Order: sequence, then C-alpha cells, then structure tokens
Amino acid sequence: MENVYQMSGYTLHLIPTQKFKTMTISLRLQSPLSKETTTMRTLLTFVMMAATQDYPSTKSLARYLDENYGASLSTHITTKGKSHVINVTTSFVNDAYLPTKENLLEKQLQLLSDLFYRPLIVDNGFDETIVQLKKKELKEKLQANKDDKFSYSLDKLFEYMGRDQVLGIPSTGYENEIQKITPQQLYQYMKKCIVEDEKHIYVVGDIPENIVDIFQRLLQFPEQYYDYPSAYIFQSPRHELLEVIEKQDITQSKLNLGYQIQCDFTSPQHYAFTVFNAIFGGFSQSRLFQVVREKHSLCYYISSSYDAFNGMMIVNAGIEQKDYQKTLDLIHQQLSDLQNGNVREEEMKIAKMMLTNALKKTNDEASSMIALAYNRDITHVRETSEEYIEKLMNVTLGEIVDVAKKVKLDTIYFLTGKEFHENI
Amino acid sequence: MKIFKYPTLKETLYYEEMKNGLKVYLLPKVGFSKTYGLFSTRFGSIDTTFVPLHESEMIKVPDGIAHFLEHKMFEMENGDASDAFARLGANTNAFTSSSRTAYLFSTTSHEKECIELLLDFVQDIYLTDENVEKEKGIINQEIRMYDDDPDWRCYFGSIQNLYQLHPVKIDIAGTVETVASIDKDTLEKCYHTFYHPSNMMLFVVGNIDPQQTMQLIRGNQENKHFEKENPIQREVVNEPLEVAQNDAILYMDVTMPKIIVSLKINDILQVPQERLKRELGMNLLLDIFFAKSSSLYEKWLTDELINDSFSAQFTQERDYCFLQIGGDTLYPDKLKDKIYDFVRHIHDYSISKDDFERLKKKTMGILISVFNSPEAIANMFSRYYFEGVMIFELIDCLNGLTLDDLNQLKDLFDIQYISSFTVLPQNQSQK
Repeated sequence: MENVYQMSGYTLHLIPTQKFKTMTISLRLQSPLSKETTTMRTLLTFVMMAATQDYPSTKSLARYLDENYGASLSTHITTKGKSHVINVTTSFVNDAYLPTKENLLEKQLQLLSDLFYRPLIVDNGFDETIVQLKKKELKEKLQANKDDKFSYSLDKLFEYMGRDQVLGIPSTGYENEIQKITPQQLYQYMKKCIVEDEKHIYVVGDIPENIVDIFQRLLQFPEQYYDYPSAYIFQSPRHELLEVIEKQDITQSKLNLGYQIQCDFTSPQHYAFTVFNAIFGGFSQSRLFQVVREKHSLCYYISSSYDAFNGMMIVNAGIEQKDYQKTLDLIHQQLSDLQNGNVREEEMKIAKMMLTNALKKTNDEASSMIALAYNRDITHVRETSEEYIEKLMNVTLGEIVDVAKKVKLDTIYFLTGKEFHENI
Repeated sequence: MKIFKYPTLKETLYYEEMKNGLKVYLLPKVGFSKTYGLFSTRFGSIDTTFVPLHESEMIKVPDGIAHFLEHKMFEMENGDASDAFARLGANTNAFTSSSRTAYLFSTTSHEKECIELLLDFVQDIYLTDENVEKEKGIINQEIRMYDDDPDWRCYFGSIQNLYQLHPVKIDIAGTVETVASIDKDTLEKCYHTFYHPSNMMLFVVGNIDPQQTMQLIRGNQENKHFEKENPIQREVVNEPLEVAQNDAILYMDVTMPKIIVSLKINDILQVPQERLKRELGMNLLLDIFFAKSSSLYEKWLTDELINDSFSAQFTQERDYCFLQIGGDTLYPDKLKDKIYDFVRHIHDYSISKDDFERLKKKTMGILISVFNSPEAIANMFSRYYFEGVMIFELIDCLNGLTLDDLNQLKDLFDIQYISSFTVLPQNQSQK
C-alpha cells in the first residue's frame, strides 16, 4: 500500500512493488486552469524538456537518456476539472536487471531536479533557439490534432458546451497565442510554478530503503502548500439545447453529445453514476453499443464517458450523415428507458463486474496506479480500492434511476460531410 | 510439459504441444492481478489465395475476409462470446494483421472459465446468412473511419506505393466493395482451413498456476475432434522488384502536410535467426541515423524540416520487407529530397562505436521494459512466435550484433526501390 511523506515543498507517495522491471517517478504540478495561462503552461512543458545546462540540446539530452538504458523522460499536460496539471514522468530499468550497477534512480532524479533548477538560461530567459523550435512544434502539433477528426470534434463539443467556462478552455492552449510568448516570460512563469504549483510525487517500483533520504538530498521545492479546486459539477447558463452542425470534406460523420449530470468525483452519487454510465455506454455490453452498433449496424464505435472532474458526460459515435436523426433517436430512447427504471438485474451485475475488473487491472500498470492515487489525493477522497469496489457493489436500482433522471442533453456537435441537409 | 528458465529476466516459460497440434505457452507473473490470454492463428489479410481444406485447387477469396471472420467469430449458437466473457467480469477483443488473427481476453477473476471460453468460442463457428449481412454495415463504418484519418492514409499509401501484386497493398479490412461480396460459405472455408489447431498458438500470461492451467487446456482439447490437416498451401506471390508507383499525392481536408518515404527490400531472408538479426540490426541502424539523439535529426529539426512526429521504421513480415521514413512537415518536397539524398549516400555515413554501444544499451532497456506488461509480452511473443523466434532470444541476439553487421545492412538501402507518399491540404491543390 501507499506510504506518504511530507517533503520540502512536495508530498512524496511511495507505492512499493516488485512486479515491475522498471521504476517510475512522476511529478505532478497543479495550478488553476485559466484562459490566460493555458498556452504559456503548455509551451513550458515543451521547452523545459528540451535541454538543461549539462545537456544543452535535444540531441545531447537524448544521448544521456540512451546511455541510461533507454530511460524515459516526458511531460504531459492535462486538466483535472478546474485544475491544469503538468506531469513530468521518468521511468528506467531497475538495476537488478542490468549487467552493471548504474544508480539510475539517483541519475534520473538529479535530471528531474535539473529541469527546474539548472535549465539552459540565456539573458534571464530560456534559450531563444530552443523556444523558437518548440513554439513551432507546439503549433504543428495543434494543427495535426485538428486534422484528426475524432479529437477535433470532441474539442469542438467542449468549446461550444463550455463557452465562457473552464470546460471550454483547451488544456493544450490557443494556437494564436503561442507566438507572442517571450523566452523571458516563459522562464519567469516556470519560476512562478516552482513556488505556486501544488506538487505531488509518486514512485512505483522496487523502492530502496533509503529512498526518502535520496529525495531529500536531490530534490527540494519552496515550502508552500496550496489547495486548488479540481472536480466540480458542470452547470450551463443556457436552458435550451444547443445544436451545432459543421461541414467538412469527410466521409464519416462524427456525432458528439454533451450532457449535464449534476454529479462529480466527490458527490455521494459518484458511485451510482459510474454504474449508470457502465450500463448506458461505458463498455461493449452497454446499451449504446448493443443497440446502435449490434442491433442497427449504424456504427463501428459508440460509447459514453463519465468525466468525473468536469461533472458531465459525453457520448460519441462515427456514423453516416443520413443516420443522424435515427442515431439521436436511439440514444434518446436508451436514456429514457434507463430513466424509467428499465434495468435488468443481469445488466447491473455485469456493469459492476466490469468496473471491478477494470479497477483491479489498474494495479498492473504503474501509470494507472499513479493516476488513480492522484485523483484521490487532489480531491481529498480517502478511500481504498476495496472500499471503492464495495460502494459500487452496493449501488441499487433506485439510485441508478435517480442519477439517470438528472441527465440532461446540453449540446450536440455534429461534424459531417459537405452534402449534409438538416431536414432529411 | 517443458520448462524454460530465463534467469536474467527472472521469467519462466511453460510449453506443451497438444495431441491435435495446438501449441500452448504459459508465463506466470507473480504479483499481477490480471491474466491475459491470446489465441492466434497464422491467417491474416494477405492470405487471400490458398487451397481450402480437403480441396485440391487454389481459390481466391475476397479481400478483407480474415478481418470479417474475426468479427463473426464472436457469434456463438447460444449467444455472443463478448457477453459470455462479460458475465465472467472479463473483457475480450480481437485483431487482424497482415499475417495473423488473434483473439484475447483479459480478466482479474474466473481465469479457468475464461481460458476455456476463449478456446471454445474460437474453435467453433456459427454463421447464418443474416448475421453475415448484418456485420457489413459495421465493417463499412470501420473502413470509413480510417478513410478520414490522414496518418493512416499516408502510412498505408506509402505501402501501396511499393507493391504491384503482393496483397499487403490491400487494406486489412478490404474495401466497401470486397466486403459486400463476402458470404457464409467462403467464411466457413477460410475458417476450416486456417483455424485448425496445428495452425494456432495459445499464450496465457498472468496470475496462473502453470500445472493446473496446462491440465485444464489438455482436457479441453482432448474433448474436441478435428479432422487431420496437411500443411496449408498458400499462393507464392511473384512480386516484381520494381515499386508500383514512385510518387503519389493525396489531397485531404487537413491543415498539416505529411510525407512518408518508403523503400522496398526485395532480398527476403528465410532463416528465422537471420531475420531476427536483420530486424534488430535495422532498428539500431535507424535509431543511429534518425532518432532524437542523431545528428541528422538535430540538423533537420533546426532546418524546420521535421518535428516530433518524425520517425523511421522497419517492417519485416512473412514474405515482404520495407522501410518507412517521414512525418508531419511544412516542406514535404524538401524533406523528401533530404531522405532520398541520404539513401543515395548511405555508405558515406559512418557509424561510430560510441553511437553503436549507446543505442544497444537503449534497446536493451526497452526490451526489458516490455516484461512489465502482460499485454505487451503476449503481443510480442505471438508476433515473434509466428516468425519462428522466442522473444527471450532477442536480448542475446542484440548483444551479438557487431558494427560490421550494421554496415552490411546499408546495402539494403537501394535508391531504385524508393517511393514517396504525400498528404496535402486541399487548398494547396489550386496552386
């Protein structure tokens, strides 16, 4: 089980296990998600990873990681409801599997510290050439994401549904704001993160006894602690349904629906909603897959996802443009069927078993162990996996119907072909 | 039952061939909650011309049939296999590649029932004309989903450029037209020919007891009857040396251009160990020249020709072999020239001892990490198994590679057999 230590400026969570051949260290930096900082923060995750004083180029840093038996070092940015979280993760082979003792733990931890305290700085800013290159990389990445119609249409749903709210702020920033950021501003912003971001570090693997000493020696942050809001229940200022149809030159149409649900990660109904989602569209045994795909052959993929940090639910599917209304009708029918309490005993049982199975599997992967622990840590939900499973198991039909009744369609975003006519 | 111990990786593998010819491998993983079973057959999208079981003439079946059969295998007389797995709390799935089809489950409970269910649903077929027809709509949506994916179009287009006859040039799922022509009889012919136990392999990894599990599988197989099968005759493709097309451009509703340069390798090796050596050697060579740690990558990055999406990969399957180099770029023409230049002058690029040793270390670390994940082990095991290699041989083979081996591989880069596939935004077509 997890051991927790309060260190200088961060909380250290140790998850010891001998089942992996690698060790994983993940640092999470949390700050409020805002329109003003989202682009800066995203660019930072690109630039901070590019070089340090000792390894002043992408090439030299990559060579150092190769030398360390292909150790990985990566940054990833994501939202957790109202929070914007940077993950800095490294994983490396346990010395026990290598021909010689390499001390990879200390080497990689030193590197992690160097990203913050010994970055490549010129004139009080990040190296100009690197910043230029990384701006280009981020811009091109955002463009390539747009070209992936699945993720583009999902981003659009969030943009329309969450207009003027946190839900509408993209976690990876705005393309047109990248250029104006200066290397000096970016460096100032990193210094601010070092002080003002709330930090958790997770270590998974065959952990040596003196690990706390090693961390104490190699990594310190200023002693400041913050409690930033994360999970929340999405509320729309609109009362009527918003329907957006965009046409592009594509063959398969992408249907995306956003729902208000009046529930989030910290709500007492969280468990009932999790079971509801599993019955409605979370798995391939769920209603949406069984009815829209298996029975009516309208799509290859369709599912619902419960976003427990934004307190909302999404349904998405790839369909023919002519099947727009038919698919919508089938989805509405399934929802109202569940709202009317038409849930079979076996459906509920299967949903609970699938959820239990999914949860137990998280213990077999370092990254999902960390993700699960972090969700609980930032929401202060104190609960073991056994307790969580027990709560899921105790969810009743009545509770499922109660949460289903609160589900309300808020926004439809339909990306379709150029020939689409609304009244067919 | 045979036992193989691999002390450096701290893994033990159990093996037995069943009387009906099915090969079974078990890898217990201590401390894991999950058990993952993978049941594979040597039947993929390229197996479209063959002699069916108990027949004597070659037949040509519609493109995409292996993948279609994969979809339909889940149908059982008394229900759907996915539902049956779900009642055990387990997930199931399947995938088809060019040379194999694999069915899998993953579970944290009822391991024995899951293993038997996996064997039972794959070793029986239940098709009706209606359920075959109904699947066509679903598969068409799967095909159309890929139609809009620029990365897939570029990747696949660059393979289509290379081959004139070889069926690897045909999409794994086939086309909307070929899918329409698939029927129950042809599916059954494929099934009886390729799903014979002697053409298949079961791999189970995770929270299992090897003795009990093997006994369970033995019992399950002894209760079933299979007709005797002679070795399957597949058509030998006489692929010409030349590429099918030198350059192709596809205009799509996208903003970011991309290019993949592909290179056909006509010298196909037969001996599994030689093939493995070529694969590991080629991957090292590509890393040395094109990974983030290389001088070329740094140069092209600073010249704004490439970004993070840039990659170089080597593919070697049953009877075909090729290289692909490329990614997203604002200057596809310039990048193409640079890659062609590289191929033309590859013998002028020397490999330093330092680079070679460093990338061997990196590769070793990555190979060791694979053993963290039951899924990764199973998928890699089955891929190499059908290549005639045990995954545990990889690290030894890697250690045995020399600088000379890598230098010899440079001969496979032949500018005669190069081609390029570019995806451009539609608005650039007006120029």
